[in-house]
Amino acid sequence: MSIHMSSKKPLLSVRDLVVEFNTERGLVRAIDGISFDVMPGETMGLVGESGCGKSVTSLAILGLIPSPPGRITAGSIQLNGRELVGLPESEYRKIRGSEISMIFQEPMTALNPVFSIASQMTDVLSRHQKIRGKQAKNRAIEMLELVGIPSPDKRINEYPHQLSGGMRQRVMIAMALSCNPKLLLADEPTTALDVTIQAQVMEQIVKLQHELGTAVVLVTHDLGVVAESCQRALVMYAGRIVEQSPIIPLFKNPQHPYSAGLMASIPRIRADKIAELPTIPGTVPDLLHLPKGCRFAERCQFSDDRCHQEQPKNQTKDNREVACFHPCGEAS
Amino acid sequence: MSVLLEVKNLKKHFPIHGGLFNRVVSQLKAVDDVSFVLEKGKTMGLVGESGCGKSTLGRAVLRLHEPTGGTVILDGIDITKLEPKALVDARRDMQIIFQDPYASLSPRRTIQQTLLEPLETHHIGTAESRQQKIEELLEIVGLRKHVLHRYPHEFSGGQRQRIGIARALTLEPKFIVADEAVSALDVSVQSQVLNLISNLQKKLGISFLFISHDLAVVQHISDDVGVMYLGRLVEKATATSLYKEPRHPYTKALLSAIPTPDPTTKNQRQILKGDVPSPLNPPSGCTFRTRCPEAMDICAKKAPLQVEVGSKNDPHWVACHLFELS
Repeated sequence: MSIHMSSKKPLLSVRDLVVEFNTERGLVRAIDGISFDVMPGETMGLVGESGCGKSVTSLAILGLIPSPPGRITAGSIQLNGRELVGLPESEYRKIRGSEISMIFQEPMTALNPVFSIASQMTDVLSRHQKIRGKQAKNRAIEMLELVGIPSPDKRINEYPHQLSGGMRQRVMIAMALSCNPKLLLADEPTTALDVTIQAQVMEQIVKLQHELGTAVVLVTHDLGVVAESCQRALVMYAGRIVEQSPIIPLFKNPQHPYSAGLMASIPRIRADKIAELPTIPGTVPDLLHLPKGCRFAERCQFSDDRCHQEQPKNQTKDNREVACFHPCGEAS
Repeated sequence: MSVLLEVKNLKKHFPIHGGLFNRVVSQLKAVDDVSFVLEKGKTMGLVGESGCGKSTLGRAVLRLHEPTGGTVILDGIDITKLEPKALVDARRDMQIIFQDPYASLSPRRTIQQTLLEPLETHHIGTAESRQQKIEELLEIVGLRKHVLHRYPHEFSGGQRQRIGIARALTLEPKFIVADEAVSALDVSVQSQVLNLISNLQKKLGISFLFISHDLAVVQHISDDVGVMYLGRLVEKATATSLYKEPRHPYTKALLSAIPTPDPTTKNQRQILKGDVPSPLNPPSGCTFRTRCPEAMDICAKKAPLQVEVGSKNDPHWVACHLFELS
């Protein structure tokens, strides 16, 4: 099953996970049987377009699926061999922030506006690391310095509104890493930031990941960010993983027609302008009315009768997994 | 090619109130002394980070924000001097496409009502010809006419943006401001909408001011590109020249900050330090000097002038002291 040849044990292991939401219009299966591993210390990208289930995946790992309406209906999530699905909230609270940490897209809503940075950061430390007072504050200042905030001893007494977007996201990173988590889930950490600030923040994440050995799951729609910072990536489409692969072959030779279409349609700076941008025709299917066969079949130029009738199984080859009857670059 | 839009020394300052009697205590210079020319049927891209004044510029050109100073001449008419009634007529020629297709369509109106409104406001054609017109428009933007009686919530983001484009086209304008028109869309849909915009432009000969923070998108769609920083244009050139040979240190940094979707090339990134300074209290001289890797003594003292660095066929100017010296 695992696409890793090494004997190392995975840090996080997700198997056949299904997440469903009760909506006014009916039962929606936001995630439909996904399986993947995250190795200690690796950076893995989770990419896909809006509504493909990438954020729901990270919420499920954190045990934060709003319930009701949402529910994990099948599958398992194991962290270092320990089952997380069905864990009582009191146990989950001990894990969140210490073993698994998270960074969200909008740092303004993720930070509490009425508490200073100092009180929010020391709160985490006293809860999980049992260090308090002056000691906790010093540790927090150390972390702020590590993420590149100038004069951290002064900044720590400020409130979130006094900081810029990039600074807030750095505070989030400092807070997330302050208890030395083994796994960091970063859900679109730079999407709300300008490119120059995005470059600063991504540089920090990559640098800290090397220094501290934290495994990172980077959830993003930006393939450029994935190409520059991840070793491996999963591509999701309509609640399923369609391809998982080490990063270089994925970009060089994407096998699933959806990954290939996605790669082609990224706007990129080109040496010469092209007349027409490559596109993927059509739109993502409605999760309430999913096709019977492959979910991408309707938009796929290689699809045939079998694709419309049958769901493709994962095929593994050379460390890569693809769920397609007609992978690109192979004779069909 | 003839000139369609000429913007001269355009300024938009917002007064900041404060103190005991809520008097005006200072001015926020959102757009400060911006000039450019746009030719018929061409697209000018406008790039910069959030808060640099690019959206304010787009709105000031349309007089959706009343400019503080300067002139905007559209097809020979000075928009900034028009009386309210004449301005309504002039608006037929200039339209805008907004960023958020969820917020810019009225949720209580069907697509038919939304598209008919501009035609009715300007008393164009008969009821029958209006109907025919909007059906044609839907076809142009790639929607079927049975969607006319639906409401915005029944559409996806990409479809809504197509409706926004159709609405901008109803009055057959000469000039459209597209303010982050594809930024809220997913990549696969984004490229569909970009192709639609460039095809429409070829077919209808409309000029666009295309505002975006995404330099790759701007390169694809634009003939000319202007780079803004803290309310000012710092560099302007043809798209070819700007992307091949960026001159301003800010443009260079912006281009190098874009992540490249190719894991095998590790580009030598030049990361800018710090944030954009507050526009309420901009640095003296060149406003970029606080983040500029090549700042010199003179940059703090004097604001740089525009220096022409291109050729006759390939105009390219930059406002930077590095080029004033040579």
